[in-house]
This record gives sequence, structure tokens and C-alpha cells, in this order.
Amino acid sequence: MIKLSVIFLIFSLILTTALVKNSTKRIDDEIFTTKEHIRSLKQDFESMKLENNYLSSAEKLNEFQNLFFDEELVKKDIFQINMIKLTNNQVIIKQFKLIND
Amino acid sequence: MIRKNKRIILEDHQNQFLYKKKKSNLDISFNRIAFIFFIFFIFFFIYTIHLVHLGSRKAKVELNENNTKIINNNYRADIIDNNGEYLVKTVSSIDIGISTQKVIDKKKLIINLKYIFPNKNYNEIEKKLDDKNFFWFEKKISEENYEKIMKLGDKSIQPEQKIIRIYPQKNLFSHIIGQIDDDNNGISGLEKSLDEKLKNNQSPIKLTVDKDIQFLVRKELIRFNKIFDSKGSAAILMNVNNGKILSLVSLPDFDPNKREKISDVNFINRATKGVYEFGSVFKTFTLAAAFSENIIEPQTEFANLPKLLTCAGFPIREYDDKIPKNLTAEQILIRSGNVGSVKIGQKIGEEKFKLFLSRIGLLETINFDIQEVGKPIKFNWGKCPLATASFGHGITTTLLQLVKAYAIIVNGGYDVKPIIINTDKKFKKEKILKNDVSKKILPILRKIVTTKEGTASLANVKGYEIGGKTGTAQKSIAGSYSKKKINTFVSVFPTSKPKYVLAVMLDEPKTNKDYVYNYRDGSNIKYKGTPFNTAGWTAVEVTGQIVEKIGPILATKYSEVN
Repeated sequence: MIKLSVIFLIFSLILTTALVKNSTKRIDDEIFTTKEHIRSLKQDFESMKLENNYLSSAEKLNEFQNLFFDEELVKKDIFQINMIKLTNNQVIIKQFKLIND
Repeated sequence: MIRKNKRIILEDHQNQFLYKKKKSNLDISFNRIAFIFFIFFIFFFIYTIHLVHLGSRKAKVELNENNTKIINNNYRADIIDNNGEYLVKTVSSIDIGISTQKVIDKKKLIINLKYIFPNKNYNEIEKKLDDKNFFWFEKKISEENYEKIMKLGDKSIQPEQKIIRIYPQKNLFSHIIGQIDDDNNGISGLEKSLDEKLKNNQSPIKLTVDKDIQFLVRKELIRFNKIFDSKGSAAILMNVNNGKILSLVSLPDFDPNKREKISDVNFINRATKGVYEFGSVFKTFTLAAAFSENIIEPQTEFANLPKLLTCAGFPIREYDDKIPKNLTAEQILIRSGNVGSVKIGQKIGEEKFKLFLSRIGLLETINFDIQEVGKPIKFNWGKCPLATASFGHGITTTLLQLVKAYAIIVNGGYDVKPIIINTDKKFKKEKILKNDVSKKILPILRKIVTTKEGTASLANVKGYEIGGKTGTAQKSIAGSYSKKKINTFVSVFPTSKPKYVLAVMLDEPKTNKDYVYNYRDGSNIKYKGTPFNTAGWTAVEVTGQIVEKIGPILATKYSEVN
């Protein structure tokens, strides 16, 4: 009886190990695939970001302004920039400035 | 009665008795197996311990010269600005070469290549196939074409992966970033000083500079280089409290994408490498040293100041004859008095003044993130040199050191290290100046901009509380002073609680008869033409224009909103 239970125990351990290993391999594969997807998406994102950085650079924006917007885009004076603050359901508009009040 | 004879024999078996455990063949074999098992167990145990030890060991990077580090030459980390925008980006590219000896069917190969690259000159390629052992067929090919060409499965086609460094901001950060050579080694700027880090760092390196601010500063410098026909110019904008540099521009600059070899000395980094006499901007240090040593107060009077002093036969005179002979210490700085500054310098004394200048980092070579830093020319102290140094004559330093020194003077007297690589390390505050130097000097710097007697009224931009000191110095060429000038204005704003120091330097500016100045005192007065090529008419105007442009960005992006 003891022999039988030992054999059964060993057999069940081998089976469990095989199952666990199998599922681990599957998860490993999934992780690898996901990582590869992330890597390629990251590369795409970086390329897009580079393009965005280039096209939205101040030099390019100035160029686009001259080409398409004429006088529509104008420099804002610091006194024209305000800060909206919401406190206790009240909207407070404050002026942006470097100087402390 | 029958008598039976009985004989009792006593035998001593004491020596013959031996206790022996009954042994069987099975027992013997069990012991042997146990022994062998024990030996195996010992080996197993030793190796387990060894494996655990190896697994738990921390990777040590040996930096010995003998132990060369493995560096991936096909990798170089990106560099981003304070807002995460690319300043430098590494893009991998593939070059396609053809090994002619491995070509099996020349005609078939050419037909296939024509299909993928129809616009190439195939007569030349045929010649190369006949004459050369190897040649580059196409450089920097697209991924699509790479896939197509590799699908041909021709062994003669040999791809080689290379990296391309792209500088999307072109000239904007050329003096900061620098360049790399064809072997992916940094040769100047951060590309050089961070060479190893860039080859190993997996994440991008973040700088403190702001792309938009840098653009605006450079744009104004270029504009005024044309207006004042200057040889070059430089500007540094730094946070006085943590030393973070938001902008560092030096003109002329270059486009690192072109990978040109620059040998013209005019392309020197004027902000960090160029060593100059800056003139009257040093008078602030003379006054600050006197405050720090508790020698004078802003209202200390200096009576009967002569118009002319002589030292070792050389005259020291005021640049403006209208300067009164009785002045307070404050007025000496506001009116930029040479003689008054000499008198203050003499009161401080050589040792104390020298120590003060050294403490604020003006005399020694500065330790900076970029290797291209200038070394101030050794100053031979003495009675006359003390007098000339008091008003910034004969003593040299770099613009970066000037910015650092002004930051220390206005930030409450705390030491500050200019940095360009963004770090999360908290800035350690170490007070190096005594006696509320900042509190005494800031109102004076503000008056230089706001009062009529001051030399920097053109920089009085509304809303920023700019204070600062001008400096016009003659350029020393081949050991003697020339008529060419270095004009500098070091501004601090807002003076009520300083956050930024902006230094603008123009190299050899000239007057412009057509430029129109708009006075910023609310009078709406316009003045046509530059009367003198002094800092008050050049560098101050440039500073005013720069602050007006970058101010909204500083206010919205870099101010703490409660």
C-alpha cells in the first residue's frame, strides 16, 4: 500500500510538473510576443514623436505661420495671459506674473 | 546407599566470547550505497552552494584600464530637453553592400535589383561587379526595400546595420550637444563629455534646457548680431536657486547634421569656452565683497573722489566726466564709477577681495557638464592689479562663471553649480556669503535699470522687475588694448525674489544709425540710431527684447502655481 502511494505520489508530481512547465512555456511565449509588440510600438511611437518634434519646432511653426496664417498667430504679452482657478465652485481669474505680490 | 560420582568441570570461556552483530550481504551493500550517496550528496551540496552564491552575486562593472568594457557601437542614447522633446535621436539604418565574388548569376541579380531600385545607374553597377571585390550598393535604405532585397536570398548581398544621429533642432543646441565622428565617438559638447554614458544608458538623457526658450534667445541674438554687426554673441539663462540652465546660446553656431569639420576659431563656444575681460560687471563683485566683509553699507559716502588716478604710471579715469565727486557706495555702482570702485577695492584689501572672487568661482576653471570650458588667465595680484580688478579691468573669466557669481550674489549668498544635465538630486544649500549681501545689492541692481543715472534703462521691461549691471570692456589683442569691445549685461529678475539670471554678451558690436530704440519708461519716446557701441546701447537692448519674448514662457511654464 505504501509502495503504491509513493508511486502514485511520484507519478502525480511528474504530471503536475509537466503541466506547470507547459503552461509556463505558454505564458513565456505570450510575454515574448507582447514584449516584441511593445518594442515595435515603441519604435513607431519614437519615430512619430521625432516627426512631431520636428514639425512642431519653433522654426517650423514660424515657417507655417508665414505660409498659412499671416497675421493670425501673434505673440501674447504676459499681461494678456490669465490663470483660471476653481475654488469652492468659484472661478477666479488671476494674472500670470513672475513678480510676487 | 548408592553413591553417585559426579564430576563438575568448570571451563573458563571468558576469553573466547565475542559479541558479533549478525551481518548479511544486504547490509554490506546498503552501507556502500549510503556511502556513495553521501559522496554524491556532498558534491551536490557544494555545487548548490556555489550556484546560490553565483546567483546572488551583484554584477560588478570593472572600470580598470586593463579590463575593457563591452560597448555596443550600434547604440547611442537619445538626448531630450526639459519637456521631453528630442534634441538628439538615434535612428538605425541599413547599408547594402555587394560582395562580387559571391555572385552566382550576374544578370539575374541585376534584373532583381532593377525591380527594387529602378532609378539607379546599372551601367556603373555592372562595371563595379566586374572590377571590384566589394562595393556599397545603397546606403540608408528603407525598411520596405530592406525586406524586398533580403527576400531575394542572394548570398552576395550583405547588409550592415549602422546608426544615424539626427539633430532635429539643427543649429539650436549645436554648442551644447556637440558632434560625433564616423565611428560613433563624441568629439565635442555633451556628445564628448557623456560619450560612455550615451553608449550604455538605456533611457534618454534629459537636459535642463528648454527648446522654445532657446529658440527665442537665439533668434534675438541673430537679429542683433546683424543690427550691431557683431563678430559673435552669447547668452546664458540660469535659475539662480538650483543652477539649472534653461538656455545657453553661442553664435556663430553650426548644424551638427552636416557633420562638418569646424576649424574656424570664431565658432568657439563664447558662453563657456571664451575667456574675456568683462569690465564694469565686476564692480558688483567689488561692492558685494565690501558688504560681505561688513566694510561699507550702501549709503556709505565717498567724498572728493578724483576724476583721475594713476597707478604705476597708468591713468584710471571715469568713463563719464559728469559723475559727481561725492557719491555713496550705492551711487558708485549705479553710475558705474571707476574711481569709486577702486576706493572700495582698496578698502577691502587684496587678500579679502581675492578670496571673495575665488569663493564665488570667478578665478578658477569651472567644473561643468560640457568639457569645453575656458580657463581664466592667471591674474598677478598687487596694488595696481587690485585697483584695476575693482572695476573689472585686466581680470578675465568666462560668461558661465559670471552667471554663477551673479546667481550666488542674488540668491541669498548660497553656492550654486551651473548644470545642464537634469538631475533629480536635491540641491544642497550652502551659504557662502555673509551679511545679507543679496538684500543690499538687489535694490542697487534694480536702480541701475530704473533710474536715469543708471546705464540699463532700455531693459526695464514691465512686469519682470529686471535689475542688472552693464560692462563695456576693450578687447585685448596681442597684449594691448584695441578699440574693439566686449559688451555685457548681466540681468537678474524679478529683483524682489530673484529666479533667473540672464547674461548677454556681444563680441565687437558696432553702432547702427538706423536702429530705433523704444524707451520703456512709459514716455513712448523713440530714439533713432546707436550713439555709442557700449553695453547700455547694445547688450541691454538685446536683454530687454529677449525677456519680453521669453517672459510669458517663464511665467506660465516655470512659475509655481498655488
